[in-house]
Amino acid sequence: MEIIAKPKGGNVDKMAEKVFLECLNILGGLRKLVEYRNLTWLPSLAEASYVIVLKNEAFKTYAEIAKELGITEQTAKNIATADETKVKKYLEGELEKPNEHVAGGIAKLAYKKLKEEGRLDEEEVVIGNEEMEVLDIDWAVHVLAKIKGLDFPVGKDELMERLKGMIIKGKKIEDILESLEYPIKTPAELLHKIKEKL
Amino acid sequence: MVEYYELRELETKAPKLFGIPTGTKLDEMFYKIEKEGDRYVRKPLGGIPHLSVMNLTGVPDSGKSVLAEQFAITQANLGYKVLFVTVESPAHFLYTALKQKSEALNANFEKVEKNIVVIDASENDELRENPKALMDTMAYAIKEKKTTNTIIDSITGLYEHKEVMARQIVRQFFNFLKKFRQTGIFVSQKRSAQASETAEAAGGLAVAHIVDGTIVLDKKLIESRWDVSLYGLPIGSVLRTIRIDGCRLTGHDSQTWVFEITEFGTIDIIAPLNEYIKSRGK
Repeated sequence: MEIIAKPKGGNVDKMAEKVFLECLNILGGLRKLVEYRNLTWLPSLAEASYVIVLKNEAFKTYAEIAKELGITEQTAKNIATADETKVKKYLEGELEKPNEHVAGGIAKLAYKKLKEEGRLDEEEVVIGNEEMEVLDIDWAVHVLAKIKGLDFPVGKDELMERLKGMIIKGKKIEDILESLEYPIKTPAELLHKIKEKL
Repeated sequence: MVEYYELRELETKAPKLFGIPTGTKLDEMFYKIEKEGDRYVRKPLGGIPHLSVMNLTGVPDSGKSVLAEQFAITQANLGYKVLFVTVESPAHFLYTALKQKSEALNANFEKVEKNIVVIDASENDELRENPKALMDTMAYAIKEKKTTNTIIDSITGLYEHKEVMARQIVRQFFNFLKKFRQTGIFVSQKRSAQASETAEAAGGLAVAHIVDGTIVLDKKLIESRWDVSLYGLPIGSVLRTIRIDGCRLTGHDSQTWVFEITEFGTIDIIAPLNEYIKSRGK
């Protein structure tokens, strides 16, 4: 008698990750978020992605979701019941900011798209080229974290102050920054210029 | 995506009506009506309807799991693959129960052992608490092992502490079994406030409303002179009954039947309650 004692799928983390990445696609890719300096949306989108997966795939109650994610039940409910059609119209510029949980609406749109296309159950997480370009190098995340709140265009001194001490792929950031052309207009441009010097 | 069908388009998709044996008298209690010459005759189906999802409900120790296990052994012994999802009893206890019952039923245990695949959700929180994880695991077992019958004992264990989710969870598993063309049995537990002879179970009537049919198992303690006189049983003994409460796929006997759980742990359905009383009562 064969006994199966461990799950063969249904990994909530992987599903939430897929929903999260699809949210980024809906918003035009990670680069767009960087360019428009909307990186502060990421935590809300991550949270909303988990809520939607836990609610619709793991059939958790709002109380369970709230406990698992460390949010209030009302937040979990707001996310799960956000009107995604209104949020879609808002993103397309057809509506003023609706009285809905925007990240919740985006996560719902992403989840529905993945479900309709049968991609939520696929084994591998497929990351778009644009995201890969930035995400496959963890230094980019650290650079973005350190320059958070910095006003662009930006000059060498301001970047030196924020990034000093970092070593990227064996190179000192100070040396890299010395070799760049200034001013740098956006965080995305900064990441690209650093990458060219690696 | 197709949003509607003309009725005739469904002819080729409609499942054939025949029985999947349970190894009990229940097999004769489901029937279909066929025309023979000028008259219509009732013909036993020979089991629960093929591709149906049936609900077994009853108070504790009424014989739900015993019946589910007997169904699994009967099917496995006939050479059909069975997926047994155990949510309550750890798999090694299930193994012992199936082995003992196989001997009592004269089943070939080697064959039974080979044809039953068990998912042990009793000792894995993720399988019990995350329906998606359980369904993905079941899909793996069904596809890899080519099972045709699935038993979940119990479905109640999947929403034990959140009965408000019962309808959604049961619906998901019901649709899942339909999608994978399984003949299924959900064992569902009753709560103390629920009348023992009804189809109601944990989660209210959610399970009964969704599934294709419900079989209710009950037991009565003989505790008064009136009971002794009516049932012809000694005081302190237990009278067990079984009844097909409903089935949307085919006709069925609607009487309450008396059954016994034999000393070997198998189900023996004896007679309709009214006949039993006539023969034994004073």
